[in-house]
Amino acid sequence: MASSILVIASRDLKRFWSYKFWLAGQVVMNVADIVIFGLLFNNMVNRSLIPDYIKFVTPGILSLALFISSFSIGREVGVELRREVTDYLLSLPVSRLELVLGRFVGGAFRGLIYQSGFLVLAMLLVGQPSPAAWLVIAYTSILLSLAMSGLSIALSTVTRDFNLQATIRSVVYYMLFFFSNIFYPTQVVSMRFGPLAPFVAYSPLSIATTLYRWGFGYLRDVDVVSNMLLLGVWTIVLLILSSVIYLRNLTRRG
Amino acid sequence: MFLFLAGVRLMEDRVVAVKVVNFTKRFGNFTAVNGLNLEIYDREIFGFLGPNGSGKTTTLLTIATVYKPTSGDIFVYGHSVTREDYEVRKLVGLAFQDPKALWVDKVQELLEWHARVVGFSRGEAKKVVREVLETLDLWEHRNKYFYQLSGGTRKKLELAKVLIQRPRLAILDEPTAQVDVPTKHKLWNIIKELRDQGSTVIIATNDMFEAEKVCERVGIIYKGRLVAVDTVSGLKDRIPKGDVIEIVIEGDGRKDKAIESLMDLGRVEYQGNTLRIYVEKGEEKALLAADILRSAGIKVKSIMVKEPTLDDVFMYFTGARLVEES
Ligand SMILES: Nc1ncnc2c1ncn2[C@@H]1O[C@H](COP(=O)(O)OP(=O)(O)OP(=O)(O)O)[C@@H](O)[C@H]1O
Ligand SMILES: [Mg+2]
Repeated sequence: MASSILVIASRDLKRFWSYKFWLAGQVVMNVADIVIFGLLFNNMVNRSLIPDYIKFVTPGILSLALFISSFSIGREVGVELRREVTDYLLSLPVSRLELVLGRFVGGAFRGLIYQSGFLVLAMLLVGQPSPAAWLVIAYTSILLSLAMSGLSIALSTVTRDFNLQATIRSVVYYMLFFFSNIFYPTQVVSMRFGPLAPFVAYSPLSIATTLYRWGFGYLRDVDVVSNMLLLGVWTIVLLILSSVIYLRNLTRRG
Repeated sequence: MFLFLAGVRLMEDRVVAVKVVNFTKRFGNFTAVNGLNLEIYDREIFGFLGPNGSGKTTTLLTIATVYKPTSGDIFVYGHSVTREDYEVRKLVGLAFQDPKALWVDKVQELLEWHARVVGFSRGEAKKVVREVLETLDLWEHRNKYFYQLSGGTRKKLELAKVLIQRPRLAILDEPTAQVDVPTKHKLWNIIKELRDQGSTVIIATNDMFEAEKVCERVGIIYKGRLVAVDTVSGLKDRIPKGDVIEIVIEGDGRKDKAIESLMDLGRVEYQGNTLRIYVEKGEEKALLAADILRSAGIKVKSIMVKEPTLDDVFMYFTGARLVEES
């Protein structure tokens, strides 16, 4: 079981490195987010809300980097559906559960590997996590990458129309990272978009960012356990939903 | 009589690899396969013939558990495709009609991954993929992306997957379509070897020559219904008056007598001193015809039996009658 899942996942991981230009572009963007935005915004933001923008934004970029890379699996899953490569997957001697878990894990691997470089950067720019904090960081990364991989797989299989797939993915993608605390603190969000504030505060990316900010020592006053539980709930719900949608749409013609 | 009974026993003793029971498949309102019943035996090469859109691929994909039956069931070595799909997949290898890969996939990587999924260790996977690539003359293409391959090469890549797997049941959907003629002959031998090494093989094809060359039994499917199943020669025998016995006699002075004596066998036509008799089971009747002529004192210069081709069989069972009945 475990080995089948890993073999399925290895295919998605290998493909990730085939998109070299896309990858290079992402790295440049994420680093630019930290360096350029950090330097520019540092002198523009209200210091009572954000004392140091670089320390503030870097843990957010950890979430963003993980999100972007795990989420990228949806693109291939969508193309596979349209080109009927999914029929090939369905014919392989693995169970449907192994297949779907393998895909989730494949996306999650992309996220975890891509994020690792940014973890080192965060250690340099923000602070050294304690061993306990590392456990929280690992938990956060594993769950968030699985949840986002599942989400993008589900979104990519709701329709065989490639344009519609891409549109749905982009909309959800921008919603998730704009309506989060990655670039702006939760207090500001509550002031400006009142009704959206709960969504922003409890979105998976915001929860993960809060946990990273705590882990790297930027925030002290965080209810770590509740945030971890909440992220766990998000992950379980998204994965169950995604499994159902993926398998239903994969086998719909048949 | 004894032979007949022995034949029946032989059939009963054969292990059934695939049992199709009242299989119907609908896509929306359209019925692609309609109440199919069929048995395919262990370690035979079974051919699925039928015009475009007759339901071959639909049936094969359902056997491989990619599609689910709308009603009825299919059993692969006793496992139901509806209730034990995972058990079925462990026994089945499938080469698709339309090769399945994404542009980012490279030949060797794609196949090594396939080998891993079907159960080889990393080291074994490398080895078996190399062997199969060399067998199929694909080694030089190993580092190419899928989109860089020609149509025939893509088809060979599909077959490679099955050769790596060597499944109990190999399903090949038009394995030699788009492949050049010398390669076709090579692939037919490879397919026979696959069977000789223990696989049951089902081939869908439109190529009558291919069916005749590699298949022991064929089923003809037409508009989602199975219209005939038999050995290739059995099917030919089932075309009414499909055989032609061509007899050349010496001197046409005795022609009338000859025709008269042969009338009982079938319709007789003549041209010069060549007589044509339209019959079933041409080989048997030819011997009879020779005897009749000899006892009538007519000298036979040559005698030849022309069998219908499988094309004729196909046309006959799928609607167009090539051989008109008089
Ligand atoms: N996914 C699908 N949705 C709707 N109709 C389908 C689908 N797949 C097949 N069909 C229809 O079912 C019928 C049988 O198709 P199938 O692919 O089984 O034919 P085939 O015998 O393999 O033909 P060919 O020789 O062209 O490969 C066709 O009319 C086809 O249009
Ligand atoms: Mg077909």
